[in-house]
Amino acid sequence: MLDAFLAGAHQVFAFDTLIYMLIGSVAGIVAAAIPGFTVTMAIILTLPLTFTMGPLQGVSVMLSVYVGGYTGGLISAALLGIPGTPSSVATTFDAFPMARGGEPGRALSLGVWSSFFGTIISTIILIVAAPPLALIAVKLGPWEYFSLIVFALTIVASLVGNSLMRGLIAGVIGLGLATIGPDPMMGRPRLTFESDILMPGLPFLIVLIGIFAISQLMGEVEDHGKSDSKGALIPDVIEFKTWAVMREVLMHPVNLVRSSLIGVFIGALPGAGGSIANLLAYDQAKRSSKKPEEFGKGTPDGVIASEAGNSATAGGGLIPMIALGIPGSAVDAILMAALMVHGISVGPRLIMDNADLAYGMFVAMVVASLMMLVVCVLSMRLFLRVTDIPKQFIVPTVMICCVIGAFALNNRVTDLYLLGAIGLVGYGLKSLDYPLAPLVLGVILGPIAETNLRRALMSDADWTVFFTRPISAVLLAAALLSVIFSVRSVLKMRKKDRPATDEQDGD
Amino acid sequence: MTNGTEKSAAAGAPAPAASRARTEFARLISYIVFGLGSVYLSLRAGELPTSRWEPLGAGSFPQLVFAVLAVLCLITAVRAIIDIRKAGRLDGLLEGLCGWLKMRRFSFALFGLLVVYLGVLPIAGFSLATFVFLLITQLMIAGISKKTVIQSVIAALIFSVGLNLLFAEVFNVFLPRGMLFAG
Repeated sequence: MLDAFLAGAHQVFAFDTLIYMLIGSVAGIVAAAIPGFTVTMAIILTLPLTFTMGPLQGVSVMLSVYVGGYTGGLISAALLGIPGTPSSVATTFDAFPMARGGEPGRALSLGVWSSFFGTIISTIILIVAAPPLALIAVKLGPWEYFSLIVFALTIVASLVGNSLMRGLIAGVIGLGLATIGPDPMMGRPRLTFESDILMPGLPFLIVLIGIFAISQLMGEVEDHGKSDSKGALIPDVIEFKTWAVMREVLMHPVNLVRSSLIGVFIGALPGAGGSIANLLAYDQAKRSSKKPEEFGKGTPDGVIASEAGNSATAGGGLIPMIALGIPGSAVDAILMAALMVHGISVGPRLIMDNADLAYGMFVAMVVASLMMLVVCVLSMRLFLRVTDIPKQFIVPTVMICCVIGAFALNNRVTDLYLLGAIGLVGYGLKSLDYPLAPLVLGVILGPIAETNLRRALMSDADWTVFFTRPISAVLLAAALLSVIFSVRSVLKMRKKDRPATDEQDGD
Repeated sequence: MTNGTEKSAAAGAPAPAASRARTEFARLISYIVFGLGSVYLSLRAGELPTSRWEPLGAGSFPQLVFAVLAVLCLITAVRAIIDIRKAGRLDGLLEGLCGWLKMRRFSFALFGLLVVYLGVLPIAGFSLATFVFLLITQLMIAGISKKTVIQSVIAALIFSVGLNLLFAEVFNVFLPRGMLFAG
């Protein structure tokens, strides 16, 4: 084992590999910072460039893009309030208010350090617990998956903000939007009204960009006459204390470890990824916090949970891939494809037949996260310059980046019309104080829920199986408890707010 | 001094209630729109043929989702009506709407420009359409002066032609060339 570890490390620490990894890390961070570009797209673009490299060198470069990409999404999430990737949706909840509150440097540093520690924790778990965790993940059937999604959907209740009902409506609208287009089992077109635009369905990324980015950018130029529209988005002087923030992150060990573990587990489940992990980690951090009312207003706990959660899926996703040959996400599938190009079959025999490669990948994960940290810390001031750019440049330019991101997804101009329409709907919902996060959650989880529900009922039409299979029953019970707990805390918060409102209204 | 404060407070007292009622009225319209839309979509989903291979066909899940949405909208609409009645007054509705639109006129102008840009994009191509879009939006936000025109032209050139080149040459992503330049 030690020989294999040293052989892998020797290959990763080769000078040219380190240089390529550094370039990959920067590329991943920049790609993810552009709204509409995802880690998956960055990896796909990298894949052909690695064909001329050796297997471990190629995979190491892709891993550095992967790790960099999970962190890059936080830059636009914190500075512009627009999630760069789906896995940084929850980062906008607290990092953006913190940046707007005059602490953009702290918001970015918190995210970077949390991502670093999240990746490291997930890599340690990957090394220690890959086989047993992967075995659990593989044993889950459609019943357990459906129950897990029901549990994840209960997060909606904690993301609703002021109104539980408006939050639920937004969440169900999201589920509804996900049903437009071909049905996930048979491919039959649904609710498309024979329109070419709706025929392929609503791509999740288009909804994400439209709902969060276009509506946010429209909001930036609101009230043009009163506000300083020529000024920067975050006009305050920026304080930048990287090391103090590192200590601040380490002062929240429970949140950090819990969020990372959630990220590892979600990452290990095939089909689920950073987009679910960041929301689930955020939700759990809010529920277990002594001050849940501070979430959404710029609390460090929210940033730590979201970023540690999404970054930890990187290690988690490799668990079923290395141990069983089952990719945890689209990115892992591309990594698998890259290894297959080099004639290496990924599966249970990988560690036995190509031990140096497997251990080399573990080393590469650690090196990639260190590189991400160094690149981010050194370039943070450069990223923060974004906040000095006046609105007149940043609003239209980011809008163009969104258009490019939406187009590049499928090379379809019709997707851009959807983007415009969804952006307007998002702006309308935002103006009427509907929370947008539940809507996006509904769009993410809807197809997974439907597919597993139908698959479960196809193999056994009896609904009671959901309650008789132990893991499924536990997950459903957890969902029920989660709803009760959320409703209780919403009612409690409303009761707390009521005297103040009554006083204000004078009635 | 105390009297003055009390007086102004008394004069301003109905304003928050009226404003709350106006906001709730706007939301009520959204609940009605979503509610009616979801009833229609639920019925349309119900028309989808059932499957021979599985208990749930293609239409069951959307039918269920939109039915739940309709029920949620109905409950929330009833609560909104009660809230509006409690607040007691809906005066100044038209002025409120005008004020709302006036405050957001730049947002809607930006959106209008985006719609025109997306419509023109397949005809004029990415570089030309983006250049014009960026130039107009930047000047709309910053106002027209010699300095802003020069700055906006430079920024528009960089982010239209420059981005097109970057994506084509580096990422192999080819943005729409446009019918004008296709032949």
